[in-house]
Amino acid sequence: MKLFSQILSYALPFLYLGVIYFYYMIFTGKDKRLETKTTPLLIGLLLVHAVEIISRHIAIKAIPLSTSHDAFSFLAFSVLFVYMILELSLKNKGSGIFILSFAFIFELVSSFNVNWTLETNPLLQDPSFAIHASVSIMGYTALALSAIYAFMYILQNRNIKKRNLGKLFVQLPAITYLEKMSARAVFIGIILLGIGILQGHWVANDVMGSFWQNDIKVIIIDSVWIIYVIGYLLSRLMKWRGIYMAYFSILGFIVLIMGGTFVIYISESFHSFY
Amino acid sequence: MTSNHIPLGLFGISHRTAPVEIRDRVTLNEEEQKIVITAILKQFGVEGCMVISTCNRTEVYVSGDDPQSVVPSIRKWLNEFKNTDHFLNDQLIYEIYGSSAVNHYFQVISGMDSLIVGETQIAGQVKEGYDLAHNLEATDAALNKLFNFAMQVKKRVRNETFLCDGTVSISFAGVELARKIFSNLKDKEILVIGAGKTAELAAFHFMENEMRKIHVVNRTFQKAKDLAETYRGQAYQLDELPDVLRKADVVISATSSENYIVTTEMMEHISRERHHQPIFLIDLAIPRDLDPGIQEIDGVFLYNLDDLNEIVEMNLKKREKELPKSQKIVDEFVLEFQKWNSNNSMASIAGRLKKQLDTLRMNEIDRLKNHLPQEGLNDIHLLTESIINKVVRQHIKTLKKNAGDPERYQQHIDLIYNLYELEKD
Repeated sequence: MKLFSQILSYALPFLYLGVIYFYYMIFTGKDKRLETKTTPLLIGLLLVHAVEIISRHIAIKAIPLSTSHDAFSFLAFSVLFVYMILELSLKNKGSGIFILSFAFIFELVSSFNVNWTLETNPLLQDPSFAIHASVSIMGYTALALSAIYAFMYILQNRNIKKRNLGKLFVQLPAITYLEKMSARAVFIGIILLGIGILQGHWVANDVMGSFWQNDIKVIIIDSVWIIYVIGYLLSRLMKWRGIYMAYFSILGFIVLIMGGTFVIYISESFHSFY
Repeated sequence: MTSNHIPLGLFGISHRTAPVEIRDRVTLNEEEQKIVITAILKQFGVEGCMVISTCNRTEVYVSGDDPQSVVPSIRKWLNEFKNTDHFLNDQLIYEIYGSSAVNHYFQVISGMDSLIVGETQIAGQVKEGYDLAHNLEATDAALNKLFNFAMQVKKRVRNETFLCDGTVSISFAGVELARKIFSNLKDKEILVIGAGKTAELAAFHFMENEMRKIHVVNRTFQKAKDLAETYRGQAYQLDELPDVLRKADVVISATSSENYIVTTEMMEHISRERHHQPIFLIDLAIPRDLDPGIQEIDGVFLYNLDDLNEIVEMNLKKREKELPKSQKIVDEFVLEFQKWNSNNSMASIAGRLKKQLDTLRMNEIDRLKNHLPQEGLNDIHLLTESIINKVVRQHIKTLKKNAGDPERYQQHIDLIYNLYELEKD
C-alpha cells in the first residue's frame, strides 16, 4: 500500500501537468473539439488524487491532514474539486489553466514533502483536529480561488481597457463575474478559516490548557485572518473599486502563503506539522 | 454510368459572380420557388429539385440520371420565367456537377462560401429551401441524403472549428464587448444618446438581449420619446444627461453634435458618484460625442467606431484561418456521400441487382443446359432476361415511390441487399 501510495504521490504532479496542457490547448484555441472532453479528464484526476489520499492514510494509519504533505495535497485536491464544480455549473473553461496551475503548485509542494513518519504530537491525537485541519484547508482553498479570480479580473480589466482583444480576452469571463466570484470566495474563506482558527484554539485549550499560544504560526495566521476581515468589511462599507479589491485579495493570499511557508521551513513552531 | 457517378448538378448566381443588383434581379421568393420546382420536375425529367435563394445567392439543385444534359434547358426556361437574360450569361452563372456539387452544397450550409465567412444564417435558409422542396415531394433519395449529410457537416464545422465564432457585425461587436464587462445584461440599463437611425439600430441589438431598461436622451425631446416608447423606456431632455449617466451601465452615443456631449470632467464626477462601478460607453458618432480622455477613468470602458471595426476585422481574419480545417470536414462528408451513392443510389442498386440476378440466371441455365432443348436456348435466354428486368424494374419503381421518405427508402435498400445477398463497396 505504501509503495502504491508513493508512486501515486510522485505521479500526481505529472497528471496535473497533463491536464493543464489540455487546458492550455483549449485556452489557445488550437483544437475546439477538446472543449467537450474536459469533464471526464477532471473526474479522472480527482479520482486518482482521492485514491492517493485514502491509500496514504491507510498506509501510515495516521489522522488525516497531519503533515504538510497531506495539507498541500488536500489543498490541491479541494482547488481541483471546486474548479470542477465551477466549470460544470458555469460552462466556462477559460479559467481552467489559471486555477489548475495553482492546484499543480500545491501538489508539487506536497510531492516534495512526502513524510512517512507517524506524527506523535499530542495535538494530533485529538479527533477534533481533523475538523480543524479540513475546515482550515477549505478556507485556504476559498482564499486561493479568490486570489486567482482577482488575478483574472486584473488581466481582463486590462484587456478591455487596452483593447487587447486576443485569445486571453476571449477565454476569460466577464469582469463583473470575476469580481463577484473573488469577493464571494473571500467571504467564504474568511468564514471557513475563522471556524478553523477558532476550532484550533479550542483544541489547544483542551490539550495544552490555554486558548492562546505565543506561537509564530498562530500569530501570523490569526493576524492575516483579522486583516482579511477588516479589509473585507472596509471594502463593503466604503464600496471599494473592483481593482482595489482584486489587489487586496492577491496580496492577502501571498502573505498567507508566505507566512505558512516561513513557519514550515524557517521558524520553530509547536504547529510545525503544517 | 459507373457506380461512383453522383447524379447531382447545380447552377446559380452568387456574390462571387454577380453584383447585388443582379442578385436581386434573379432572386426567387417562396411562391416563385414553388412554381420553379414544380415546373422543372414536370418539364425536364429530373428526379429531384430544390432551390436556395437568398440575397447573396440563387442556386438550383437537380438530381437525376444526367443533370448535365438538362441544366442548359432549365437555365433557358428560368431566364424566360424571370424575364431576364442573366441565367444565360456564362460570366454570371456557374454550373457544378457530381461530387463537386456535393462539396459546394456542404460549403454553402456551413457558411464557408458566404459573403461573410462563417455566417450562420445561411444554414437556416438552406434548410428552408430543402423543406419547401420536400413538402412539394420534389426531393429524391439523393437530395434527401445530401441534406442529411449537410446538416452533419454544419454541426461538425460549428463544434470543431472556430469558423462561426466571434462577431462580425459592428452592432454585435458592441453587445459582445458588453458581455465581457457585465456577465448578465438582463439586469443592466442602457442609455442611448441621440435618436437617429444608428442609435436606433444599436439600441435594437442591445434590447434584443433583454436589457432591463432603456433611457433615451436627445436634443429633440419628441424623437427621444418615440424611440423610448418602442422599448417601454424613458425619454429625457439633453440637460438631464448627467443624472441619467449615473443610472446607466451601457451608453451608446450617436448624435451629430460638433462638440463632446460627455466630457472627461463630467464622467470623472459621475464615476466617483457611482463608486467606479463599471460603465461601458460606445461612441458611434463622427465626429466623436465622447471625450477620449474618459477612457483613462477607472471603471470606465470607452470604445468608438474604429475600435469596433477593428474587432470585426480581427474576427473575420480568424474565421478565414479556419477554412482549411472546415474543408477537411467537408471532404470527409463528400467521401461519405460518394460511398453512400455508390451503395444506395437507384442506378447503383439497379446495376448490382441486375448483375447478381444475371449470375444466378446463367448458373441455372448452365446447370440445366443438358436437359434443355438446344434449339430453344435463345428463347430461354430472352425469357429469363425479361423476367430479371421486370424484377429489377419493380424494385426501382418501389424505390422511386419511397424516394421522398429517406427512412422507407433505406429500409427497401436494406431489404434488397439482404434478399439478394448483394455485396456493398
